[in-house]
Amino acid sequence: MKLRADHVAGAAFIVFGALVIALSGDLPMGQMSMPGSGFLPKIVAVFTMIFGLALIVRGSESPPFTDISWSDGKHALMVTVITAAGTALYTQLGFIITMTAMMVALLVVIERRNPLYAFGYSAGIVLLTYVSFEYLLKTPMPESPFTY
Amino acid sequence: MESTLLSLAHGFAIAAEPTNLWYAFLGCLVGTLVGVLPGIGPLSGISILLPVTFGLNATQAVIMLAGIYYGSQYGGSTTSILMRIPGEASSVMTCIDGNAMARKGRAGAALCIAAIGSWVAGTFGVLMLTVVAPPLATIALKFGPPEYTALLVLGLIFLAYMSSSSLVRTLLMACIGLLLGMIGIDNMTGHFRYSFDLAELGDGIGIVPVAVGLFGLGEILSTPSHKIVGEVISPKLRDLLPNRPEWRESMWPIGRGSLLGFIIGIIPGSAHIISSFLSYALERRISKKPEEFGKGAVAGVAGPESANNAASTGAFVPMLALGIPTGPIPAVLMGALMVHGVSPGPQLVTEHPDVFWGFVASMYVGNLMLLALNLPLVGLFVSVLRIPYAYLYPLIIMFCIVGVYEVNNSTVDVWIMLIMGILGYLLRKFNFDPAPLVLGLVISPIFEQSLRQSLIMSNGDYTIFLNRPISLGILVVCAILLGLSALSFVMKGRDWRAQLAEAEAGES
Repeated sequence: MKLRADHVAGAAFIVFGALVIALSGDLPMGQMSMPGSGFLPKIVAVFTMIFGLALIVRGSESPPFTDISWSDGKHALMVTVITAAGTALYTQLGFIITMTAMMVALLVVIERRNPLYAFGYSAGIVLLTYVSFEYLLKTPMPESPFTY
Repeated sequence: MESTLLSLAHGFAIAAEPTNLWYAFLGCLVGTLVGVLPGIGPLSGISILLPVTFGLNATQAVIMLAGIYYGSQYGGSTTSILMRIPGEASSVMTCIDGNAMARKGRAGAALCIAAIGSWVAGTFGVLMLTVVAPPLATIALKFGPPEYTALLVLGLIFLAYMSSSSLVRTLLMACIGLLLGMIGIDNMTGHFRYSFDLAELGDGIGIVPVAVGLFGLGEILSTPSHKIVGEVISPKLRDLLPNRPEWRESMWPIGRGSLLGFIIGIIPGSAHIISSFLSYALERRISKKPEEFGKGAVAGVAGPESANNAASTGAFVPMLALGIPTGPIPAVLMGALMVHGVSPGPQLVTEHPDVFWGFVASMYVGNLMLLALNLPLVGLFVSVLRIPYAYLYPLIIMFCIVGVYEVNNSTVDVWIMLIMGILGYLLRKFNFDPAPLVLGLVISPIFEQSLRQSLIMSNGDYTIFLNRPISLGILVVCAILLGLSALSFVMKGRDWRAQLAEAEAGES
């Protein structure tokens, strides 16, 4: 039997539903007249598993798993890693430094743009955003140890 | 009727305040840009810009966000006509004949017909909203927990039925959304659920990180810059006005599209997408020259553009009158109102008349603004289309992070956004539409509370849903829809939803 996209997706949803039920172990189901906090999550988790099973049953109508194109995978992975680094450093280094560095990294590492242009563009955009949020919208942004 | 007119006059007084006019203008301008740019749909646009409205009061916030919503419906037509790239999903049908008209040298006329059609339909939709929403809210005051439970079930089933993806896929996404909505403290018992000792998860997962992640970041992850290519046709300003036959050919399709769009807009589902598809199909069916469709038929632009704008307005009726979002965009707007301490629903008209009537009146003004914006500034929007996507998406990611962080000043929210971005990317790979997930997340607390309250009221007796006429009626409609879905499942027929999926896949 050929492994289809819906076989993989269906199995993932069944595992997810089972995980939710396992994590709901200490949540009381309650009674019908007074449903507890675990009542609806468990019901919805069971439905998730049933629908996951339905996907697997009808899986033959979906394209083969190997036909899914991952040509954008490298782009997605690099954007994710750079964004994650930006998130981790956001409150440590502050808005201006972190966001300028993140935008430069996206433009230079992924898009292969000229580092000088990339820096000029990123710094300009970030400063404009900082001024808009801080002074026009009166929304404070995270500050760095160097106070900006 | 007299009280409605008086309230509307009060709304106009609020909408005409300079600050409110400014936010309506800003919303329309940003919305048009959001619609014009490929890769940022109205949902991601609204989600990304939602935190910007936190410094505003509820009326200003909803005026600006609604401006972004209907502005993006207008803007979507520009890329469709000039580049054959739908700026957002509801513009898919406009691509076909709009771009064909542009290639014949009628780009200006196509843009003008789209703008006029959008304006007529938008104004018609607001008129209907003014008339329909207040009485509907009065009826909804008679609703108790069982009726709300049944109504929310109907919403989910209707969404699944109307969706272009399969019933199982839509319900699966809704289930995931419902489960995500259950994270945090249980309001009725005080239990912490799935919070993994993270204090930030005590209040649950917010709609902003989920929506921004799934639609904003998810879209960027699956769109490498080399995939965004397209030739822009620049219209000449002197060619903007359609000629006499084009006016004649567009009149009736605009009227039909407006009516059809508003009716579909009230029904749960991705109304603006479905309405433009159905309007196109209707126009082709009743046309005396159906062979012209696909080759630059005026009705193929006028009908769908009017329908998707009327549907965007129609979608506000259940949101404002019943407090039930009919799709992911009204769900995000509802979330925005809740952030400002305003709960949409039957009591909105009486408890927050300034918000309700100010919002309704601002939509009349906003539609006029859009008409004034779209035609003279078409050159500016064409220039925006020339900004390389490689420079655009780092900027969008920055706004995603800032926007999500500013909601609660929490990096946990930004991590949630990142996880949702990856989830959104994977869901696209496996052909899942993430929109029902957002809807599930928003209705989850209301659904759980009304279901549990119903069971407590009836001492655990499920027949309470069948003993009350309104909830019974709603559940019968649910059963009919499920029956119809099962029928198409068994017959494996190629109905209009399959055709819609095919059209979307073909153009995106």
